[in-house]
Amino acid sequence: MDSPPIVTTGLDLQTSFVEALQGLGLSSGTARLLWLPLPMLTVLVAAVVGVLVNVWLERKISAAVQQRIGPEYAGALGILQPLADGLKLVFKEDIIPARADGLLFTLGPVLVLVPVILSWLVVPFGQNLLISNVGVGVFLWISLSSIQPIGLLMSGYASNNKYSLLGGLRAAAQSISYEIPLALAVLAVVMMSNSLSTVDIVNQQAGAGILSWNIWRQPVGFVIFWICALAECERLPFDLPEAEEELVAGYQTEYSGMKFALFYLGSYINLVLSALLVAVLYLGGWSFPVPVEWLAGLLGQSVDAPLVQVITASVGIAMTVLKAYLLVFFAILLRWTVPRVRIDQLLDLGWKFLLPVALVNLLVTAALKLAFPSVFGG
Amino acid sequence: MFGFLKKVGDYTKDAVGAAQYLSQGLAVTFDHLRRRPITVQYPYEKLIPSERYRGRIHYEFDKCIACEVCVRVCPINLPVVDWVMNKATKKKELRNYSIDFGVCIFCGNCVEYCPTNCLSMTEEYELAAFDRHSLNYDNVALGRLPTSVTSDPAVFALRELAYLPKGVMDPHGVPATAPRAGKLPEQVLETLPAAPDQGASS
Repeated sequence: MDSPPIVTTGLDLQTSFVEALQGLGLSSGTARLLWLPLPMLTVLVAAVVGVLVNVWLERKISAAVQQRIGPEYAGALGILQPLADGLKLVFKEDIIPARADGLLFTLGPVLVLVPVILSWLVVPFGQNLLISNVGVGVFLWISLSSIQPIGLLMSGYASNNKYSLLGGLRAAAQSISYEIPLALAVLAVVMMSNSLSTVDIVNQQAGAGILSWNIWRQPVGFVIFWICALAECERLPFDLPEAEEELVAGYQTEYSGMKFALFYLGSYINLVLSALLVAVLYLGGWSFPVPVEWLAGLLGQSVDAPLVQVITASVGIAMTVLKAYLLVFFAILLRWTVPRVRIDQLLDLGWKFLLPVALVNLLVTAALKLAFPSVFGG
Repeated sequence: MFGFLKKVGDYTKDAVGAAQYLSQGLAVTFDHLRRRPITVQYPYEKLIPSERYRGRIHYEFDKCIACEVCVRVCPINLPVVDWVMNKATKKKELRNYSIDFGVCIFCGNCVEYCPTNCLSMTEEYELAAFDRHSLNYDNVALGRLPTSVTSDPAVFALRELAYLPKGVMDPHGVPATAPRAGKLPEQVLETLPAAPDQGASS
């Protein structure tokens, strides 16, 4: 696109909130300070609720695939089952093995969870519906996600258990190998949108509804990103670090209670996050398959009218979540479809297949960008 | 140069093949999503055990002649027959009889060989106990009849697959009167021409 698409500000809750508080006689600094925790808490709650939904979906879909019923008695359709699981974990005894390194053992799960939650900083649900529109958005996510293997290795090593150590080493090897094709796939998208900011990446896909989504321009990148995201989340086919048949539970073997819950939470938040980022990078983020502006024009409404703004923002959030959960569904289905790869196959796939393909994809994208700047970003 | 191109070609072929297999597998799992669960919600629903189900053994004390055939045919000589010789009547007098179901393998040999048919198989299979010694059933416990799944008001009895009407896969909601697929042995016999008398050779 030669000229950036007309960026509608959409719903800007921060400005409205700050203005309202200033109307009550507060200084703009205080008003902003009062605003700050709100989006953070909202996103934190959203992430945790997302995990609960995710766990429920995982159990229900797994059951359906295996022609079972799945959780049924905790709430309607077993909706409260993840909550019950969580409560159970909260009340379990917190055990640190006698020969384990207490400090690292405790620090490990924290180091796994914190970067994942921090990454939600850059997930946009709308033009202004994100905590912080960081200029280096996706890069921040990539760098944060490379902290995770340190935590995994730390907990695996500190457990003083051979299975844990093996699991931790595998997790580190896997994360490091798949980080590179992942970054290269993201780089191709970034090159097309001339920005690392997640909001800009979505806006660049907003021109013609579903047709302008990146998945049509980056099909190879989409596949690479999805495979790498699954590997980063340690989802099956790539769940070697916790391969229960061989390694008991990998790096989580010695963990119980809340520390185990942190791992559990971390892996599911990571899955939702990865799905959200696939939605943002390749499936047009919050954009509706038909441009909302166009629809509003058809109905003779101004895009800036308050009601339309609220509706478009809600549609945006719903679309982002819907796309993300479609991908989560796909990941769960994939879990019951494909067998686990061996460690050599895993590294082969990462280094010998995904990496060269991602490089070629990057080069082809660059060439296409030079050849057709109107389609592939100028 | 051509070697490299061939390599790239092979690689692509592999990738396409892998994608094909993946989509085939996904089609299978996706198809399973719309099928009904085949699970039986156990304490509330139970399958009706099949006709020749070998469950807990039932024993009739009064029929027993203490011949100990059951002990001899048992792979591990499990039944305990406690009898004394009554000198006056010159007959065996049975005092106790017991089978330990924690050890029994339900092979049915004792039932098969019992000359007075005092042993029989029931359809009872819920033998869970807190103490394995309580699985050692004496003649009183052996004489109890199990609750039938079909007559238990707390249980929704389901027919097993082989007992369902033809073409029906799901036991839920099948009326009890619907006949099972195929014919019973006596129904098959009716269709056969009367067998000629085969004499003493058979």
